[in-house]
Amino acid sequence: MREERTPFIRLAKRGSMDPRKIWLIRVSSIVIALILGFIPILLTGNNPIAAYGVIIDGSLSRPVYIRQTVKIAVPLLGCALAIAPCFKMRFWNIGGEGQITMGAVAATFFALNFAGTVPHVLLLIIMFLAAAIAGGIWAFIPAFFKAKWNTNETLFTLMMNYIAIGIVAWLQGGPWEGRKGSQLIPMFDDAARLPNVLGVHCGWILVLVLVVLMYFYMNKTKQGYEIAVIGDSANTARYAGMNVGWIIMRTMFISGAICGIVGFMTVSGANYTLYSGVANGVGFTSITVAWLSQLNSFAMIFISMMLAVLEKGANTLQTRMSVPASISDIITGILLFAMLSCEFFINYRMILRGKTKKEVEK
Amino acid sequence: MRKLGLMLLALVLSCTMLFAGGAGETATTASADGTTTVKVGLICIGDENDQGYTYNFIRGRDEATQILAEEGINVEWMTIFNIGEDASCIDANIEAAEEGCQIIINNSYGFEPFMLEVVDDYPEIEFISCTNCASWNDGRDNTHNAFANIYEGRYIAGVVAGMKLQQMIDEGQITPEEAVIGYVGAYSFAEVISGFTSYFLGARSVCPSVTMKVMFVGSWSDATAESDAALALIDEGCVMISQHSDNTTPATAAQSRGVFHTGYNNDMTGIAPNASLIGTRIDWGIYFSQAIRAYVNGEEIPQDWCAGMGEGAVVMTPLNEAIAAPGTAEKVAEVEAALADGSLEVFDTSTFTVAGETLTHAYALDTDGDFTADSEEAVYDGAFHESEFQSAPYFTVQIDGIEWLNSAY
Repeated sequence: MREERTPFIRLAKRGSMDPRKIWLIRVSSIVIALILGFIPILLTGNNPIAAYGVIIDGSLSRPVYIRQTVKIAVPLLGCALAIAPCFKMRFWNIGGEGQITMGAVAATFFALNFAGTVPHVLLLIIMFLAAAIAGGIWAFIPAFFKAKWNTNETLFTLMMNYIAIGIVAWLQGGPWEGRKGSQLIPMFDDAARLPNVLGVHCGWILVLVLVVLMYFYMNKTKQGYEIAVIGDSANTARYAGMNVGWIIMRTMFISGAICGIVGFMTVSGANYTLYSGVANGVGFTSITVAWLSQLNSFAMIFISMMLAVLEKGANTLQTRMSVPASISDIITGILLFAMLSCEFFINYRMILRGKTKKEVEK
Repeated sequence: MRKLGLMLLALVLSCTMLFAGGAGETATTASADGTTTVKVGLICIGDENDQGYTYNFIRGRDEATQILAEEGINVEWMTIFNIGEDASCIDANIEAAEEGCQIIINNSYGFEPFMLEVVDDYPEIEFISCTNCASWNDGRDNTHNAFANIYEGRYIAGVVAGMKLQQMIDEGQITPEEAVIGYVGAYSFAEVISGFTSYFLGARSVCPSVTMKVMFVGSWSDATAESDAALALIDEGCVMISQHSDNTTPATAAQSRGVFHTGYNNDMTGIAPNASLIGTRIDWGIYFSQAIRAYVNGEEIPQDWCAGMGEGAVVMTPLNEAIAAPGTAEKVAEVEAALADGSLEVFDTSTFTVAGETLTHAYALDTDGDFTADSEEAVYDGAFHESEFQSAPYFTVQIDGIEWLNSAY
């Protein structure tokens, strides 16, 4: 009788696993995802192999396309780096979107008002610092409430996104509007634009430096260690005499500041103006980047480039094969789903009911 | 290892590149049979499913293709849909340029500043921004603007609406004071203000007691908000709905409440047969075919193109005879003729007042980039001359008789 009550599938945490087997699972999950991706492409009446070819061709085949792809990857990588310490701490910062936006607002304020009077490099430094502080403060607010009153940071950071986006929407139609009724903020003066290096705004150098800095911060510093301890157990951290509230606030400020810098790079290097969609979903997509990279800074470079290839390739897919852009969103979704779920199978194993006896005997 | 996996993936995918379609031709190609092929990009804010703004461009595209095919010019279109008025427009223009388009047309007002970020990298490609106005002042040879005198079509739609309202007054269905038009506008922006003012003046020319309420929705295309605004206007007592927004939902809202409607961009009598009287639209086929023909013949594409009903660039959609007031068709023909021969000015300053005064002065152009018009007097010979100094409308005056319910947008 008892055996009948056993669920059909049970899950058990795995012990260690052969690293080669782990990578086999990961690679095959990508292959399976790509094969599943055939279905939506077939539904549009196109050859899936050709479609994947167009995605690669449209994102990597020419210098211009590579630049465009890198331009998409830069904010993804920057924001993934920003949220990594929060996630390590098990503080769910899903407010990257809002922190990017507020950084962009602060940078835009100086771009619009001081472009004529402040020299180029100095203006860019001011915009950089202003964006970092604004993004940092935007992230600090939920961290403060979490530390003092243990509010739910997931909801809090999420709601802060909408406030930030609302502020920009108001600025667009109000004080910063260009031509009356146009809802458009004027394009930045050249003095407020990031210079290009190898055809892409120099933000790409900045994020690569951040990759190294973040790696050292997380792995080689006392603060990085504190973050790891809190992530494992906040009580252990308290017992060890750490000021958990303070560490949460400090880490969130750093996280928000990096997001703010991403916002600065986006308005000053890529968009040359501010609008309410400035974050463009990066704050959310970068969560996937961070997870898939298992919070490893260097792995984030490849994951963000992979997502950028898919996104840029999707545009070419639309123009060359008239495949709606939403189809490639579906493929991206399948790919991310497969890659995230394969991590699940690496950490857990499924036990079918029939096997139970054998397992027990063993 | 992860790196290896990704490289493997990239390798597998690049093997498939052989099957991929290559980039397009970069020069106008004349084939043996005497036809010429030109590749044109069309970047759209929506897609044809809006049955309004973008659909109207697609109609223009197909019409131009047909006109030019008869002249031996093949147009290969690359149409990019659903681009926002944001940095994705920069990317779309780069994409079209890299894929070999020789002419790139941007269909929405807000695309122009982003388009201008790309034009200098591709001096051999001609860029066109429809409905915007930077080209005359941007010092570049490869940028162009185009618009049509849509205010003429709106004036006539207003006449049709006014005749219906007057019929309702004469038949005792409403009192003269209840002849209120509700107008769903996108933004409090010159193109919209010019449009609803001309519409109102058309209505008042045949129904003297008419007044109008305008509600802005803060978006060019938001089907739900447009419907909500129309319903709110009907709740405020409006018995006639018109619109300057991209969707057909104001028409269906009017139909559902038993009031009348006139449309924009498309014939909406099909989806609201008991409400929609007539519509007006720009026939972009006229401009597209002229611009592409000029390009193929090695001539200059007009720097700032503008044409009106006389040239066929603005057309009325079929009149819904079943519900229009008797005599409407004749009146429309009469007004069309008067507009064509210049005996009727839409913005005749003797037909409206601003804060009780006759309008005597308004500038047309902004020359210093501060977004306020500062030169070229638009008011002369007893009328405000719209779309004369640049194709994009510049009428921004709030006239008496039109109430703005919200001007935040």
